[in-house]
Amino acid sequence: MDESTLSSLYSDMWLIRAFEQGLESEFEKGNVPGMLHTGLGQEATQAALAANLEATDAYFPDHRCHGINALAQQRHRGDGRRIMAELFGRSTGVCSGKGGSLHSADPRAGNYGDNAIEGSYMATVLGVALAAKMRGEPKVACAIIGDGTVGRGEFHESLNMSAIWELPTLYACVNNGYAIFTPVGKGHASANIIDLARGYGFPCEQVDGNDIEAAHAAVLRACDHIRGGKGPYFLEFMTWRWQGLFTGEFRPPDEVRYWREEHDAILMAGARLKEMGWTDDDLEKVEGEARDIIESWIEFAKESPPPDPAKATADVYAGFEVSPS
Amino acid sequence: MNTETKTRKSTMVKAINQALDLGMEAFPEMFLIGEDIGEMGGDFGVTRKLWAKYGNERVRDTPLSEAAIIGTCVGAAMVGMRPVAEIMFADFLGECYDQIVNNAAKMHYMFDGQFKASLVIRTACGGGFGGGPHHSQSVEGWFLNVPGLVIVAPSNPADAKGLLLASIESDDPVLFLEHKALYRSKGEVPEGYYTTPLGTAAVARAGTDVTVVATMRMVPFALEAAEMLAGKGVSVEVVDLRTIRPYDADTVIESVRRTGRAVVANEAPGIGGLGSELSARISQDCFHQLAGPVVRVDGADTPIPFSDELEHLVLPGTDHIVSAIRRAMTQPDRGA
Ligand SMILES: Cc1ncc(C[n+]2csc(CCOP(=O)(O)OP(=O)(O)O)c2C)c(N)n1
Ligand SMILES: [Mg+2]
Repeated sequence: MDESTLSSLYSDMWLIRAFEQGLESEFEKGNVPGMLHTGLGQEATQAALAANLEATDAYFPDHRCHGINALAQQRHRGDGRRIMAELFGRSTGVCSGKGGSLHSADPRAGNYGDNAIEGSYMATVLGVALAAKMRGEPKVACAIIGDGTVGRGEFHESLNMSAIWELPTLYACVNNGYAIFTPVGKGHASANIIDLARGYGFPCEQVDGNDIEAAHAAVLRACDHIRGGKGPYFLEFMTWRWQGLFTGEFRPPDEVRYWREEHDAILMAGARLKEMGWTDDDLEKVEGEARDIIESWIEFAKESPPPDPAKATADVYAGFEVSPS
Repeated sequence: MNTETKTRKSTMVKAINQALDLGMEAFPEMFLIGEDIGEMGGDFGVTRKLWAKYGNERVRDTPLSEAAIIGTCVGAAMVGMRPVAEIMFADFLGECYDQIVNNAAKMHYMFDGQFKASLVIRTACGGGFGGGPHHSQSVEGWFLNVPGLVIVAPSNPADAKGLLLASIESDDPVLFLEHKALYRSKGEVPEGYYTTPLGTAAVARAGTDVTVVATMRMVPFALEAAEMLAGKGVSVEVVDLRTIRPYDADTVIESVRRTGRAVVANEAPGIGGLGSELSARISQDCFHQLAGPVVRVDGADTPIPFSDELEHLVLPGTDHIVSAIRRAMTQPDRGA
């Protein structure tokens, strides 16, 4: 990978990390309502996807995709702050505060909406893909799913229908080893989700989801295949989430140390950049810039007004009014 | 509806088929999707000849993947298509319940109006043909508590056609209930394209003594009951709800306030369903005009058994409506 691409992805990864860490600290202070799942530890996978998805594509994010959403919003709509504001439940959020961390969407950024019914969009993505195919649009329709989410029946319904209809679907399976507390090998017939996907007969790849160069190249290959009209593609990113249970860490210390200290996406990318001649100061500058941006986004969110009360009963139907009771 | 238009006698199946055909002609973004709806024309023949006319792309057969069928509709609607799904039997809606209640119905609201779930889910519901516990249910109660969803339930071929075209035009997700026992029923159906507005009830028969609010198969039963009682000096008004959600409370309330007596007839079990909602609403809004309590006709609180001898014991019919009207009429007039 050339230096400028890597440098740009490195900035993206820092933006994700700063976003999630900033959010986490605001959450702990009680400033962010609801629940919080972060993408910390999965920055390379997320940056690789965000860099390859265009505004005219459609991706369905999962509960850890604030970072992808922010990057897409920033890149395609020029204002990543609106993702932060949505998580704070403010009027300036992408859904005016009606969706929050689990339901932010902006189709003009390619973001077709998080869904807290984990993976139900494995079925929904089919429709976006089918419409693109019927209209002859070269769209990538991507579902981002966790390893645990693969347990749903829709996983198989979706892969099967993508295969028989040769749809432009990208399945981005983020295998971070656990579904809440359940290890992937205990929840599925194989700890490698790719084994479950292979039977549908379209290309499947397993990649190191913390190696930005490998992850980026894999997404690029998948998108080229799909845009070339060759049908669906399955990617399994092997990664690890920092967030344990809400109550704390439950995984073995060796495992934690490996992923956080030896195989961290940002540390590994930083090391590559240093091979290319970057200094520690250069790396720190990128981190500092990301943290400044996020600080300003948090400020923006906090200063934004709450949603208009009329929003509570607005838009239940497109064609009927619902009156407040 | 223009009264000048020519009509033709037709079954409900044919009327629905015509609506689908006219919809496909009018909306290039419309497509049909379901199990064996293509060359075969569907289990009940509702989509017959459409595959030959519109081809594989727009009349799309699927495997037994109900969640994926409705998911496909939701996703396609999100990008501006107008999919119309057939779920072979309403009993199978459990397989795609999540897609309907969590995605289709919430999409427009939770994403602040950025997506429209302009889709129609047609499905065959109701008992009376020996279908047994998994092919006979009335499912409207499963969906009544779902904001954002439209539920349409025609009782005759002309309405079925006009309501289906209105559902196809609608930008909201519509659950379109087709009662199996009405599929072969006949009625005059206007030719050509027309819509019957969603959310409006019809007065199927005007009367002055008692109002019967009914849906689907209960409407012809109520009309039959009204005819029988007309000879006995009871003037029955029959209100055909047509849209179950959001329903036309104005027409119901106006009628009951006028007649002072109400019967609510519905094939589904009584608890937590349309009968509960309508009787509560009527009691609340017409209390001072009512001569007595709302009388309910519901299905029994059981699954639908297979054997004919058993099935007819749990499904309401004309007799039940006649006795309900009689009961309503024994209530003393408050002389309001
Ligand atoms: C259909 C459904 N079942 C259960 C849940 C509760 N839930 C939320 S996240 C989660 C685990 C998901 O695991 P995975 O897909 O591996 O994602 P991860 O959190 O590890 O990124 C569960 C069970 C849900 N939101 N939706
Ligand atoms: Mg997981």
